[in-house]
Amino acid sequence: MQDFYNSDAMITAAYVIAAVLFILSLRGLSSQETARRGNLYGIIGMAIAIGATLANNPDAAITTTLANNPDAAVAHAAAAATRGGFHALLFGAIFVGAVVGSIMAARVAMTGMPELVALLHSFVGLAAVLVGYSLDLKTQHSLAHRIEIYIDVWIGAITTTGSVLAFLKLRGSVSGKPLLLPARHFLNLAMLAGSLVCAFYYAKTNNQIALEIGTAIACVLGVHLVAAIGGADMPVVVSMLNSYSGWTASAAGFMLGNDLLIIVGALVGSSGAILSYIMCKAMNRSIWNVIFGGFGAAPPKSAGGPAQPQGEVQEIVANELADQLKEAKSVVIVPGYGMAVGRAQHAVRELTEVLRKRGTTVRFAIHPVAGRLPGHMNVLLAEANVPYDIVLEMDEINDDLPATDIVMVIGANDIVNPAAEDDPSSPIAGMPVLQVWKSKLVIVNKRGRAAGYAGIDNPLFYKPNTKMLFGDAKDAVEKVVAALKS
Amino acid sequence: MKLGIVTETRPEERRVAASPTTVAKWIKAGWEVAVERGAGTASSYPDSQYETAGATIVDRDVAWHADIVLKLRPPTLEEPAQLREGSTLISYLFPAENPDLVEALAARKVTVLAMDQVPRISRAQKMDALSSMANIAGYRSVIEAAIRFGSFFTGQITAAGKVAPAKVLIIGAGVAGLAALGAAKSLGAIVRAFDVRPSVEEQIQSLGGEFLTVRIQESGEGQGGYAKEMSKEFLEAEYALFREQAKDVDIVITTALIPGKPAPKLWFADMVELMKPGSVIVDLASEKGGNCELTVPGQVIEHKGVTIIGYTDLAGRLPKVASELYGTNLFHFLDEMGGAKNYKVDHENDAVRPALVLEQGEKKWPAPPMKKAEPPKPVAAPPPPVVAVAPAPKKSHGHGGAASPPSKAVGATMAVLGLIAAGVFIALRFGRTDVIASPETAALLQHLTVFVMAIFVGFQVVWNVSPALHTPLMSVTNAISGIIVVGGLLNARTSGGDMQPSVIVAIVATLFATINIAGGFLVTRRMLAMFRK
Repeated sequence: MQDFYNSDAMITAAYVIAAVLFILSLRGLSSQETARRGNLYGIIGMAIAIGATLANNPDAAITTTLANNPDAAVAHAAAAATRGGFHALLFGAIFVGAVVGSIMAARVAMTGMPELVALLHSFVGLAAVLVGYSLDLKTQHSLAHRIEIYIDVWIGAITTTGSVLAFLKLRGSVSGKPLLLPARHFLNLAMLAGSLVCAFYYAKTNNQIALEIGTAIACVLGVHLVAAIGGADMPVVVSMLNSYSGWTASAAGFMLGNDLLIIVGALVGSSGAILSYIMCKAMNRSIWNVIFGGFGAAPPKSAGGPAQPQGEVQEIVANELADQLKEAKSVVIVPGYGMAVGRAQHAVRELTEVLRKRGTTVRFAIHPVAGRLPGHMNVLLAEANVPYDIVLEMDEINDDLPATDIVMVIGANDIVNPAAEDDPSSPIAGMPVLQVWKSKLVIVNKRGRAAGYAGIDNPLFYKPNTKMLFGDAKDAVEKVVAALKS
Repeated sequence: MKLGIVTETRPEERRVAASPTTVAKWIKAGWEVAVERGAGTASSYPDSQYETAGATIVDRDVAWHADIVLKLRPPTLEEPAQLREGSTLISYLFPAENPDLVEALAARKVTVLAMDQVPRISRAQKMDALSSMANIAGYRSVIEAAIRFGSFFTGQITAAGKVAPAKVLIIGAGVAGLAALGAAKSLGAIVRAFDVRPSVEEQIQSLGGEFLTVRIQESGEGQGGYAKEMSKEFLEAEYALFREQAKDVDIVITTALIPGKPAPKLWFADMVELMKPGSVIVDLASEKGGNCELTVPGQVIEHKGVTIIGYTDLAGRLPKVASELYGTNLFHFLDEMGGAKNYKVDHENDAVRPALVLEQGEKKWPAPPMKKAEPPKPVAAPPPPVVAVAPAPKKSHGHGGAASPPSKAVGATMAVLGLIAAGVFIALRFGRTDVIASPETAALLQHLTVFVMAIFVGFQVVWNVSPALHTPLMSVTNAISGIIVVGGLLNARTSGGDMQPSVIVAIVATLFATINIAGGFLVTRRMLAMFRK
């Protein structure tokens, strides 16, 4: 008897429902109001997919056959004992995974979000590699199947090692500086060629060693690709790895002949691709330049490099700034990675509240690549309870900056660098930036006098209407708040 | 190209379309400028200053014969006859109210751009002459009120006794209303401002005013920063509020205007009579009939001890600064049209097109709606009475926003995917027969179709994600890419239960994928829970 739970119809229906729920989940994210519902759709979709896969028990069919065959039934009973252990192991794995994941999610600080996201990407890649190997170990495969296994494992391996390196870079365990080997393009090409040779060999002979060598090459390639990308491009890297993890899932779908995996992988893959595109556009760089370039490769080294800014920086202390803020009618705050590092978002929120109570208009200007993740600043400000209707994007606020009394730049550098507009030889020339220097007064909070992540000096600091508020973001802002309150 | 600046002929008009400073900027930008003799005298700009700036001083008919004639007030019905055929006139026009004038201009086959029709979009703010003038009128209204008010604005405690501060009520917190608010506040008065639009509360408070509104759930936010018409219940509640305020305040400044319509009546005779003797009403809408029932446009009258000022030329009473600001608006407008070098009437320019009334005598107004432009409301039969307020300062963060999908990139992606699909199809169609026949190829083709469709859906869906939610998007996609767990489960299950290496590996894969699922969804939930309005 073929009952419904074990039928193909049931599993197909469940997968279709899950796929639709995943699409609705992404759709829900189009606005803050529906986003939570979107997340819920995703959870339900996942539960249905896993539940259906678990409920659909191919062994049931075997059991029915065995019932008519006493000899085989004895053998089967023996196997059933091992299967008990197997089930315990499988559910144990799911349980442990869920617990570990939950703990990670609950523990992570909002400032550590980029690291977590990068690490999770590596898990998807790793799972895909393992599924590929598991399939390879199981049976002999046809040619087409072997190609699919190879592709799955290869992309999965790149995603895994690339994400791990991105994680380490974001955590600061590895320097953010791009590693530019002399012949890196050649190296990439060589590794690609090597991978193709292994693919060919594996497909032809089903030789597992070829698959293993291919995996190893992909691992190195993943590391090398991410190593060549500078810290300032991290948002692009993370979104690219997001895309890769999607394509990995899709490849696994092809390998297993599973449409749900293909659909979800394609959704995630295109999502990551779009994010990468948006980030690249925000920095006015081509995606190829980011993937293969690393900073310093693209700009022409003519005319003796970027012009050195002239002049002295002017300092301001918290008390003076507080006096200025009391006079100001409109204030715009430009947060950057420095605010995340200094965990200053709560202090900034307090500053906003104090100013708003005084009747000052306070708004936030968010550059698309501020921080180390797309939307990173929005998440931090939301955590600190800054209302999202005063948090504006670059395009919305740039026209208002000339009429703004004070712009406070907190831990941002490259995204407010006028050289992007004025100096064609600057490495960030052409990148759209927040035109803070057009406002009446610019306050730049910086820990010290070092250059930004892109490693270039910022002429903004030397402008006559710029004052520097040196010090740790949190301390500095808290001092200003205290001075405002007194 | 020659610009002609002509003298304003309307009685009592002291302004002129450009100051010497603006003329100097035009000369520098490559224009030729001819100024009618004596055009700036009433604004305290003698001819000599224009000459120093580089303009030629000419007679009336010469100035009117320039390629582009610049003016402030709408021309009289006779004046179009002086225009050269094929030339351009830029001035106020109010085409909805002056159809005869539009006809007269059309007969001259000229191009006319109306400064009063420049759209209220952020890009066009620097050309928005209505706002420039409203700002001046708002300031001046307070000064006029102060002249006729018999007491201080600021409260004082002197040896001779205590003086209470003046209480000012401003109706309509548009540009004029806010300017009046600022001026009255800096003179020391207690200022309240009424508006039907809740969004202006912040602006009123930022200037130190107290926001008054009617507590009925109805937003008066209309198009393009203007207010819309309100329901009867709302109006009744509003009038009740006004009657209450009338007893308390010393000065009332009304600024309610609806583009292309007579001003709404909202301060009735009985409200005037409720006011204390010596109170002052300044009606900024008097040119359009007035907000106060008793206003006599252009005059100051007294009704039972209350002075009602109905001047229609409040901005003109500060002719020097008004001319300066209007000239700057004109300068930016001409600049937007391409400047001296590339001057043209660009129909695609959403800041210029709405202002175009006539092109070579052909009627072009009202402009068709554009995606970003907000053309003024067309004239329609209005259900009376109507309450609305003068233009508000543009809300700068109203529009714009999410990046629109670059159709080019999506198109290219789709084209590539299409080519791949076609390639696969051709390879299968003309390839080896045994390969085509195999069920595996058929399945592959089916999977490819699903793949391509899913990518397409993904592109469509993800472009709509708000940039503020990009991090949650990433973590949620992260969680759902944990769907790879299905692969792990399937591999583990189909093995018949034996503890082969393949099963162990699959179980480890399941473990990692589950970490991803749980971690991704939970962290997304945490993040989303923080987004609060």
